[in-house]
Formats: sequence, C-alpha cells, structure tokens
Amino acid sequence: MNRFRDFLSARNIVLWISGIVSFLVFLVLYGIAALLSGSQTSQQMAERWSERKDVAQISCFFSPNAAMSPDRIESFRHSLDSALQEASIVQDSPNANARLWADAYSADGQITVSSERARVTADAIGIGGDFFLFHPLQLLSGSYFSESDLNQDYCILDEDAAWQLFGSNNVAGQIVTIGGVPHMVAGVVHREDGRLEEAAGLDSTVIYVSYNTLDALGNNNGINHYEIVMPNPVSEYAYNYVKENIGVTEKEVEVVENSTRYDLPERLKVIADFGTRSMNGKAIIYPYWENIARGYEDIIAAITLFALLFLAYPVALLVIFVVISWKHKTWTAKGIYLHLQDKGERKMEDVREKRLRRKQHKDRFDEEEDLL
Amino acid sequence: MNENGTKRREWVKNAMIVFLTVMLLLTFFSNTIMNYSLPEVAAQYIQSGTITAKIRGTGTVESGDPYNIQAKETRTVESVLVRAGDTVQKGDVLFVLADKESEELKAAQDALESSLLDFELQILSGNVSNSVINNVQSGKVSSVSTYQSQIVAAEAEIEKWEKEIEEIELAISQLNALKGQLSFSTPDTSEEEKKLAEAQAAYEADSYKQAKDKIADLDSKIAECEQVIEKYKPENNPVVGYEEEVSGGNIIYNAVYEVSHDEYLKAVANHSIYVGQKESYQPFVTAEAEENYEKLEKALNEAKTNLTNKQNSVDAQSNSVSVQLTNWNLELTDKQKKLSDATDAKNQLLSDIAAELNLGSKMDRINEQRETIAELQANAMGATIEAPISGTISSIGITAGQDMTAGSTIATMQPEGKGFTMSFSVTNDQAKRLSPGVQAELVNSWRYDDVVVTLSKIKPDTSDPAQKKLLEFTVTGSVVDGQTLNVSVGDKSANYDMIVPNSAIREDNNGKFILIVETKSSPLGNRYKASRVDVEVLASDDTKSAISGAVYGYEFVITTSNKPVEAGQLIRLADQ
Repeated sequence: MNRFRDFLSARNIVLWISGIVSFLVFLVLYGIAALLSGSQTSQQMAERWSERKDVAQISCFFSPNAAMSPDRIESFRHSLDSALQEASIVQDSPNANARLWADAYSADGQITVSSERARVTADAIGIGGDFFLFHPLQLLSGSYFSESDLNQDYCILDEDAAWQLFGSNNVAGQIVTIGGVPHMVAGVVHREDGRLEEAAGLDSTVIYVSYNTLDALGNNNGINHYEIVMPNPVSEYAYNYVKENIGVTEKEVEVVENSTRYDLPERLKVIADFGTRSMNGKAIIYPYWENIARGYEDIIAAITLFALLFLAYPVALLVIFVVISWKHKTWTAKGIYLHLQDKGERKMEDVREKRLRRKQHKDRFDEEEDLL
Repeated sequence: MNENGTKRREWVKNAMIVFLTVMLLLTFFSNTIMNYSLPEVAAQYIQSGTITAKIRGTGTVESGDPYNIQAKETRTVESVLVRAGDTVQKGDVLFVLADKESEELKAAQDALESSLLDFELQILSGNVSNSVINNVQSGKVSSVSTYQSQIVAAEAEIEKWEKEIEEIELAISQLNALKGQLSFSTPDTSEEEKKLAEAQAAYEADSYKQAKDKIADLDSKIAECEQVIEKYKPENNPVVGYEEEVSGGNIIYNAVYEVSHDEYLKAVANHSIYVGQKESYQPFVTAEAEENYEKLEKALNEAKTNLTNKQNSVDAQSNSVSVQLTNWNLELTDKQKKLSDATDAKNQLLSDIAAELNLGSKMDRINEQRETIAELQANAMGATIEAPISGTISSIGITAGQDMTAGSTIATMQPEGKGFTMSFSVTNDQAKRLSPGVQAELVNSWRYDDVVVTLSKIKPDTSDPAQKKLLEFTVTGSVVDGQTLNVSVGDKSANYDMIVPNSAIREDNNGKFILIVETKSSPLGNRYKASRVDVEVLASDDTKSAISGAVYGYEFVITTSNKPVEAGQLIRLADQ
C-alpha cells in the first residue's frame, strides 16, 4: 500500500500522463503523415498495378539538353523487354493480354485550341504511353486517351478550358481545332487546387494532347518526363535498371523511385538533406505532379521530425523508469528461483496428498464392497 | 460519506446517459456518416451496339492532272480576262498581250544576221571548192549514202595500192635475205676439198717425190759442206801455232790453225754422210716413179681447179640477185607514188564532204531563222493567249502590266472531267483497317454539298516507309486546288453484345478489367461494393469499347468516380 502511494506521487503522475499524451501526439502526427502520403495518387501506381509488393514505379525527369525523343524511349522499351526476358521475369497471369510493365512520357509546352465560339491558348502537356494510368485525374466527363489508341487526335480539357470553349463540362466527343487540324475532346478533368498545387504549376488552364500534336502544332519544350511501373524482384532493381539504361548522363536526368519515396528511411533522408535540398544543380523543370510530390515530401518530413521528437520523450521516460526499477529492485534471480522451487515442491506435496487420500477412499470402498 | 456517495452515483448516471445517447445517434446515422467517407461513383449498364473504328486525317486537295499554260515569248501582258476558279471552253481568250516587238523577235533577227555573215565568211575562206558551193546554194546536197559510197571507193583505191606495195616489199625482202645468205654462207666445197686433200696427200706421200725432195735437200747440204771444205782446206788454213795439253801424264801438243779446224772436220764428215744418204735414195728415182709422180701432180692440179671453180660459181649467183633487187626497187617507188596520189584524193573528198555538210547546215539554219522571224512577226500585233483545253482555271501566275518570261507558267488549268486527289499519311496500324474503295466522310460534312471522297490507294510513305503509309483519295465535286479537307475513314462496323464506355476500362498488371457494382442489402439500407472482372477489349472507337469476359451482359459498370476505387471497396452511387 505504501509503495502504491509512493508510486502515485504527483511527480510520477505528471510524468506518466505527459508521456502518454506525447505518445498519442506522436501517433496522431504519424497518422497524418501516412494520410498525406496516401493521398498522392500519382505516386501510387505500384500499388494500383499489383497487390503484391513486387513492382516499383520509377520516374525520370530530363533537362532540355538531354534531347529526349520518342525514338529513344522506344528503344528503351525494347531493351527492357529483352532484359526482363534474360532475368526470367515472365507474365504469370491467367489473362493473356496482361502486361509486365506500363510506361508514360510527356512534354510540356503551349498550344492554342479553338472551338466555334472561342480560342484558348494554354499550357499544354503532350502525352505518350499510358499517361492517365499513372495520373488518374478526376474525370468529369468522357474518358482518357493513350498512345495506343488508333487515332492520336484527342485532347483532354480541364474545366476552365471546357467552360471557355463550350460553356459546359459535358463535351466529350466535340470537335475543336488545333493548328487547323480538327481534334476530338476525349474528356474533361478536374484540375486540382490548393496552395501547393497552384505553386506547382496548376495555377492556370492545362490541356492534355498527344505528344505528336504538341510537337507538330504547338510549342514543344521537349520531353521532360518519363515514368514506368515494372517488376521489382529485389529492392532497387527497377531503380538501378532505369538509371543505367535510360541513356542520359547523370547531369541531365533526375531518377526517382516513387513507390518508396514516402517511406520512413526516405523521410529521414529528406530531414538529413536540410539545407542542401533547395539547391538546384540540374537544369530540370519538374512537371506539376512532381512539384506537388516534392512539396509533400517536405511537409511529411517535417511532420515526421516532430513526431519523432514526440516519440523520443516517452521512450526516454520509459528507459529511465526501467533503469531505476532495476537499480532498486528488491528481488534477485536466485530468490525468485528458490521461490518458484518452493512453490513447485508444495504443489507436488498437495498432489501426493490428494492421491493418497483418494487411494484410502478407494480401499475403504473396496472393503465395503467385499463385505457386501 | 453518504453525500460523497450520492454525488458519485449522480455523476456516474449522467455519464451513462450521455454515453448511451451518443451511441444511439451514431447507430442511427452510421450509414450516412459512413457514406460520406466512401467514394462516389457513376455507373451505367453494359449495352450492345455497333463499333466503327474511324481513322481521321487532314489533306490538301490537288488537281489530278494539271495543265500548265506556258508563255512562248517574253511579252508584256495587257489584260488578264479570267480568274482562278473560272470555267473556260477551249479557244476562250485568257490573256491579251501588248503590241510590242518582243525580245524574241529582236533576238531572232540578230541571230539571222550573224548566221548569214558566218556563211559568207566560210564560202570566201578559199578552201571550199566551187562545185561544193554550187551544190549548196542550189540546194543539191547529196545524201549520206552517196557520201559514204564515194568515201568507200576512195578507200578501196588506196587499199589496192597498198596491197601491191606490200607484195613488192615482200619480194624485195626475200631477195635481200637471199643475198645476205649468199654473202655470208660459204659454198659447200667440202667434196672438192676432200679430193684435193687426198690428191695432196698422195702427191706428198709419193716416194718418188719424197726421194726427189730428199735428194735435193741432200744436194744442197753437200754443196754447203763442199763450200766449207773448200774454204777451210789446209791449203787455205795454215797452222799458226801449237798448244800444250796435259792428258794422262803426257803432254800433248795440239796444232792451232788460223781458223778453227773443227768446222773443216765436221764438214768432211757430213759430206761423206750426205753422199751416202743420197746414194740410198737414188734407187727411188726411176722413170716409172716419175710417171706416177706426174699423174699425181696432174690429179692434184685438177682438184685445185675444181675447187676454185666451185668458189666462183657462188659469186655469179650473187650478181643475178643484185640485178633483180634493183628492178623491184624501181617498181616500189612507182607504186608508192600512186598510193600517195590516192590518199590525197581521198582527203580532198573528205574535206569537200565536210564543207558541203557544214555549209548545208548553215543554209538550213538561215532558212529556219527566216521562218521563225516570219512567225514572230505574224504574232507581233494584237496577240492573245487562248485556252488550249476546256476546264477550270486553278491558278493565274501573272497580272496585267507584268512581263511574262518565255517558258514560265502563266496559268494552270484543271481539265474538265479530270478529278482531284488528296492524300495524308497514317500509321501502319491505321492503314491495316482500311481497304481501297471505301468512302470517307467529311468532318463538318454539312458544309460541302456534293463532295465525295473515296480511298483509292494505300502506298508506303516515302518519308517513313517502315512506320507509315500514305492514303490516296480521289475527290469529286465542287472543290478547288489547295483546299484543305478533314475526313474520317472507317473500318467496317460490327455489332457487339457488350459495350462499355472507354472510361470504364481499367488496367493493372493482370490485364484489363472493369469494376462492377454489387449490391448487398442490409437492415440499414443497401450497401454497394466494387468488384473486379477481367475483360478483353475486342474493338474500340472514340467513346466506347466492346469487351468480352466473365460478364453476363446486365452488370452495372463503374465509369468515373471522385476518388480512386479499388476492387472490394465499398462505394456509394452518384444520384442517377
């Protein structure tokens, strides 16, 4: 009883409660960080592509000096096919049309789109591969298009562009003119908004067209992005493969593994890069989704830092408590051992007594039987 | 104590009430609350219908078979009477030209003058024969075959002489060879020499001769000895003294003569020897032997004469050859002179022919230029340019007041009845779905009344033959050259039982799939769940795709959602 009261002294209570509160705050912060990282759909292609953790999403960002072209991407795709074959990574899905990997690339620039009632000059992203597989923007109407479609004269407008050109969002299938060539509107998407998004490049209208259209009929600033989701049998296999085979010198490309970028080790690396993270040594302009992802990297890293600090406090308390208890312990190992032995012997005695009693009882019963 | 207890019980009771109320509210509104957190999806039923894959493209209309009207001379255009797009008939006036002497006419006149000067200079240069000049001026220029036969005759003559000369030279060379042979080779006198040698040997070996010779020889020796004897006989060789000589212990006194006595003694000895020898030979000198000897001598002489005769015969042959050679050489020079004459004649003939041809062509050119000038002069006044064919003017390349240069295109026409073409390039995938003969639709077709575009040919595209093909269309109707047309060409359309919008098709590493809505009813309302069905896309066009898979055909397929949806997740439906 005394010990209990000692235990419940004011100081101890305060320490305990503050420790628990701190731990709860850590959990909350960690949860927030997890939520934020989970909200980045453009970084989660690996999870969408495969439920098992055997694929990875890798992105490359090129500077204009890299002079990336669709031909080089095509040759990279072919080299990847043969590399996967050599490594005996084959499709084991029952569906015959299933693909081992999917990729996308894009170039940014500007384009002028006209409809019958207006013309809009806007930032344009010329896409190739299955761009919208990686960036499943919220469709308000229509559907996505990709490089594997039969016609390459589609475009996707955002709500602002659709409003200016047609006055409505429900315009999938309408014809607009780009550079005198008619194009069909494949769909209308919702443009993300928010402080980070607008700073990242989504502050004005964006129109998505095919890369061929942007190159031929708009201002093409060159392919600045290529990403791929591919099998990753061991960690860093995909990352290393892409880095070595993309065919661009290290000064002109930035390679990122999206699927692990929000993991704890990467967050700690961002914290460690504090100070050098804002330095820019490569002439690379990131597309808006990469800018957003980097913004969130910073935020998540800061949250994680605070979370760890909040974790450190209860952990320290716990450690100190354990050390003090150990120092002031009243029991010894030998004492416990003897205590246990004692208990064991007593138990054995009890069992023996019971058995004896039962035997006596049984003998008496038998006697009585015999008598009867 | 009691108060404390009561307070505590109050407190517990209140807490319990609050707690239970909250629980109740949460239970009743649990569905609504949960719904707010679920993704909202739009869905629609699988339908059946047709899918026609269309390939869109844009091309520029070109005239199928343009006709270029070209200017023949450099003139100034006074007025242009038609515009691009006008239809004209053959013979309609298109351009009126200004009345000016054209530059071509001036140039032609200058050329004529210089040609005339050239002609006259050549005639007066002196190395053209009169017959040639007459022929040319009268227009009587022989044909090529006549020239050829004349040349052939001259060459035949030359050949004849050359052949004869060759023969003579051959003969001469043969004689020369013969002569050489004679002077170098020695006649075959071996027989005669052998006979001579035999005769000589016999003659030499004759004993009579030998004896005679020997006797003669001995006689001369004897005469020599007698001379010496005579010279040194003691009467002529007095003793002058005595010499002492010791020999065998004795003293001998030798007589010393004036001249050595030894010679005299030797000569006496020899004399007797020689006489003796002469005696031995004497029997050989008989009259028979002498006869024999004379016979042999005669034979020897005969052999000698034979030999010299033989040698002289060669010389006689050599002389006759020299005479023949001289004759041949004379003939040779004669024939060579004839050859050079024939060669000169041929050369003269060639130069005549050349001169004739040259002058002839100059004459022709002069005549041509006179004709051209006449033509141009005829065109100088009030000229017009008319349409050479009926059709539509595609473009005019000149305006009134401009100079048109000869040879430039001043207008292009689209002949009546000939069609237009259009082409653009497509990828191999797109070209695979098309076949020639299919008709194309015009985008915004309500703008064009009667334009018909038909796919005529699929060719490889020269700019990228491995990846692209060129589609060629024939265009009929009211179009003009240079117009841009946007067309879509379609595959054959096909019916499919299961068609979904394109936004319903999703993909992951297990292939393409769709998400269908499964309904579960629960006491608190319907719960909806998204579940995955693997599908295969059979065909697709701009907005929908035909699928096949483990679907029955009446499923509710998720098309769009406001948040990403995974298979197995609970969802809520958007208000339909």
